[in-house]
Amino acid sequence: MRTIETDVLVIGGGATGTGCARDLAMRGMRTILVEKGDLTHGTTGRYHGLLHSGGRYVTKDPQSATECARENVVLRKIMPHCLEDTSGFFVTTPWDDPAYGDVFVKNCRLTGVPVQEISVQAMLRREPVLNPRISRVFEVMDGSADSFLATRSTALSAEEYGAQIWTYHHVVDLVREGDRVTGAVVEDLRNGERIGILCACVLNAAGAWAGKIASMAGVTVTVLPGKGTMVAMNHRMLNTVVNRCKLPDDGDIIVPIHTVAVIGTTDVHVPDPDVYGIEPDEIQFMLAEGDKLIPGFSQYRALRAWAGVRPLYKDRDVANDRDIPRTFKLLDHAERDGVEGMLSIVGGKWTTYRLMAEESVDALAKRLGNTRPCRTAEEPLPLPPTEHQTTFRPPVRTTGPGASVAAEVEALQHAPLYWLGKHLAEVEREQSFADLICECEMASRSRVLAAIDAGAKNLDDIRRDVRMGMGPCQGGWCIYRTTALLFERRGQDGLSQANSNDALLHFLQARWKGLVPVLWGDQLRQARLDELIYVGVLGADRLRPIAEQGGGLVTDNPAVATEYVKA
Amino acid sequence: MNYETIVIGAGLAGMLAALVRAERGERVMMLAKGHGSTHWAAGCLDLLADADDPLGAINQLVQARPAHPYALAGVAALEQALARVRGVAEAAGYPLVGNAGRNLLMPTALGALRPTAFVPATMVNGEARQLGDGRPILIAGLHELRDFFPPLIAANLRAQGYAAEGVYLELPPVERSHDFNPVVMARLFERPAFRAEIGRQLATLVRKGGYARVGLPAVLGLYNAVEVVRELQALTGALIFEIPTLPTSVPGMRLFHAFEQALTKAGARIQIGGWVLRGEGSGSHLHAVFSEAASREQRHMARRWVLATGGIMGGGLRAEHTGVISETALGLPVRTPSGRSDWFQARFLDEAGHPVFRAGIAVDAQLRPLDAADQIVYTNVAVVGSALADCDPIREGCLEGIALATGFAAGQL
Ligand SMILES: Cc1cc2nc3c(=O)[nH]c(=O)nc-3n(C[C@H](O)[C@H](O)[C@H](O)COP(=O)(O)OP(=O)(O)OC[C@H]3O[C@@H](n4cnc5c(N)ncnc54)[C@H](O)[C@@H]3O)c2cc1C
Repeated sequence: MRTIETDVLVIGGGATGTGCARDLAMRGMRTILVEKGDLTHGTTGRYHGLLHSGGRYVTKDPQSATECARENVVLRKIMPHCLEDTSGFFVTTPWDDPAYGDVFVKNCRLTGVPVQEISVQAMLRREPVLNPRISRVFEVMDGSADSFLATRSTALSAEEYGAQIWTYHHVVDLVREGDRVTGAVVEDLRNGERIGILCACVLNAAGAWAGKIASMAGVTVTVLPGKGTMVAMNHRMLNTVVNRCKLPDDGDIIVPIHTVAVIGTTDVHVPDPDVYGIEPDEIQFMLAEGDKLIPGFSQYRALRAWAGVRPLYKDRDVANDRDIPRTFKLLDHAERDGVEGMLSIVGGKWTTYRLMAEESVDALAKRLGNTRPCRTAEEPLPLPPTEHQTTFRPPVRTTGPGASVAAEVEALQHAPLYWLGKHLAEVEREQSFADLICECEMASRSRVLAAIDAGAKNLDDIRRDVRMGMGPCQGGWCIYRTTALLFERRGQDGLSQANSNDALLHFLQARWKGLVPVLWGDQLRQARLDELIYVGVLGADRLRPIAEQGGGLVTDNPAVATEYVKA
Repeated sequence: MNYETIVIGAGLAGMLAALVRAERGERVMMLAKGHGSTHWAAGCLDLLADADDPLGAINQLVQARPAHPYALAGVAALEQALARVRGVAEAAGYPLVGNAGRNLLMPTALGALRPTAFVPATMVNGEARQLGDGRPILIAGLHELRDFFPPLIAANLRAQGYAAEGVYLELPPVERSHDFNPVVMARLFERPAFRAEIGRQLATLVRKGGYARVGLPAVLGLYNAVEVVRELQALTGALIFEIPTLPTSVPGMRLFHAFEQALTKAGARIQIGGWVLRGEGSGSHLHAVFSEAASREQRHMARRWVLATGGIMGGGLRAEHTGVISETALGLPVRTPSGRSDWFQARFLDEAGHPVFRAGIAVDAQLRPLDAADQIVYTNVAVVGSALADCDPIREGCLEGIALATGFAAGQL
């Protein structure tokens, strides 16, 4: 077995682990990050897409609220290209306790969450689809965020500072010598090779899987997987995030992101972060809740549903699961369990990932005698090659709690904030209409090729980069096109036609899982049309005998398969 | 205007039913909201996929599955329908070739081989038994057409033992166009200068590579494809064949046009763009239907009706999240496979197909719609094509076959 040495081994390529790798590398520590799937394979890639203002937590979890409010401003400065300045409303509907509005405002003030009440008329002018029976509206600094792009950009920065990012590498064991963790054994899922990694310290950032990782070192960390389901609608019927003004509950937030609007979420305890289903009543419940915010919401076409697993850390002294705090926790296993050489960072949110990384790396740096300060809050992230170096700038917000920050971000003159018209503007500028591979999401050939060149290991990786296949047509056209481009581009580097066929079949199946929960009406009709295309026109069902995993791709590997169980 | 027959739906089933009735001298109107699956499918006639001898297998199928649309229409109707549709295509200068007793294996835009019984003459040179003669094959396309990728097609053909190579041609000079979809490409192939330039490029490649056959995307003209193929064969000295692209289906559009000509000649009226919303009847007799076009409601009267609105894909059936599936034009009762939880297989490409797509309207031997108690709903309505229950036309590979057989049978009633 090949063995490699490094200072720090980070486990988990979600927001947290990738943020840690960047921070470590920027401070000059030798770092390897291993992730069993693609970056954001875990919860980071299956979340709601909300850059929290903090408003949601002001009453139940004030510390989280304050952290979110601070990091919200930091992220706008370091990753504008990943964020859209949608702003956010907390609204009191006829189903919500009218007394909570005042409590909400008071707690926003206490926790440092910027808030401003606006009139219902002003709200309806900006978002005419919202329920006119809403009685109060509070504007906060919510935004929407593309976590794929953010994590990619973070990883790119980490690599620029010398970190190694190993995706599709699965940690199969930790090496423990006496009271010390000294490294790990990882499997390269592309070819099954096992590699030993020796390190001064392991940083366990495996999210909902952190308990599984810790147990490999004989340490108990209880992470309760709490599954949340989200539904994307085919229409971006509003441009502002809306939250119900009440204590956090199911189906109470709608986030406009890219071309769609996403409602979420639920919270269902599941025994294993790799095995869960999406229940039909979860979907029906959320669509019904959506109708309360936007009358007629449930009549829009649901595009797909997915679920992510919350990494809720259960401290040993918490008796009741409901009392688990939503903040994060850094566990030093030397102090906690008498096991040296490993830290675990658990809990938290996407919005606070950078802060979590900073605290983890501070602790690690101290241990390794590194005194360099954290600079991740100041230095902006680089743009991955799938992104246009855009010259178009969205209009800068002039009202609401976000206005001052918007002006500040603009003054920094980094990449502009993301805005909906961005890809269309690029396509218009380059006159590349005739070269769109995915018409629904405006993904041009050059961006798809950039995603392939960036090392995509299957079509799902390309989807994450350019959103190919995520529009209303469910990939009817672009899955075929992308498969063919993958073959043309990598055919010289050992990727055979059989490997491309396998990638196609794998992606069709992966997509099907997200579709089944929302297949009725027009979406079912589209699914049938896609069946005609893939079976009746292309004969994809006849490719199995000439399809084979390989060529550097990872398709049907059990280590990265999420098993959906039927209700 | 009072019609003897109004056909609702403009897919193959509706067009053939309308044609047969019009040719019998009836006043016929074909009323549809849009085009049928011709515009999405490969433009071939699939009778039954997984059989070398589809007709033989259909003869067995009608014994084993008496509720199957083939069993209701009868094998004789299928055979007569095939003769009639071939006549229609022939008359439009676009002959269909093949044999109901033997499936052809046709290369797809993925390079897979797909069984089908009849193909347009423009495709037949690509049939697998011919491709297997060992002589080199060239698959050629254009970068600008994103619905056809020669390198992957050729590589998959090679993996199955055919000597194919893939290449991209240079787009002949054209004025700027925003989008080169299959229909735009087909229009370009209508231009002599455009195809002459393509022919020149192909001739050079054929001379150098010694190719006996050249496969091209099925965009070789909308109205004179057979001529275009002949011309390219003369220019290159190789046998030319078309391979269906992603939709929009140019071969399907050609079939549609062939029917349009035949229907016009037979005196039938075609009204596209009218959405049938409901019917009006008394007892088991349907008097009229109401359609909406440009938000104006129109009432149509006829003595006899053919419902050819398709299944879930065509919009003839619509599924709700509650698990209810309804028939959209007349509100006929639909046979639905149990609850929504049983609608789908876990695997998208499961050979058994997804149960939801077997939903449809149950009919008697004269294709009259039945309710849950097997009572006739309307005595003067015949239901044809993909709207019928107990069949998954895409997975069974009989999409065109059942459309034609039932459409023809409804024409005879
Ligand atoms: C339904 C839902 C909605 C949410 N919405 C929001 C929101 O809108 N805004 C917000 O700020 N936060 C949101 N969150 C919270 C947020 O998504 C998570 O807190 C955050 O993404 C966690 O990131 P992470 O990096 O810690 O974990 P993860 O992203 O889960 O990363 C852990 C990684 O470890 C990898 N891994 C596991 N085992 C192994 C192994 N053996 N070897 C190698 N790698 C391994 C996994 O593949 C995974 O990629 C939401 C959470 C849920 C569940």
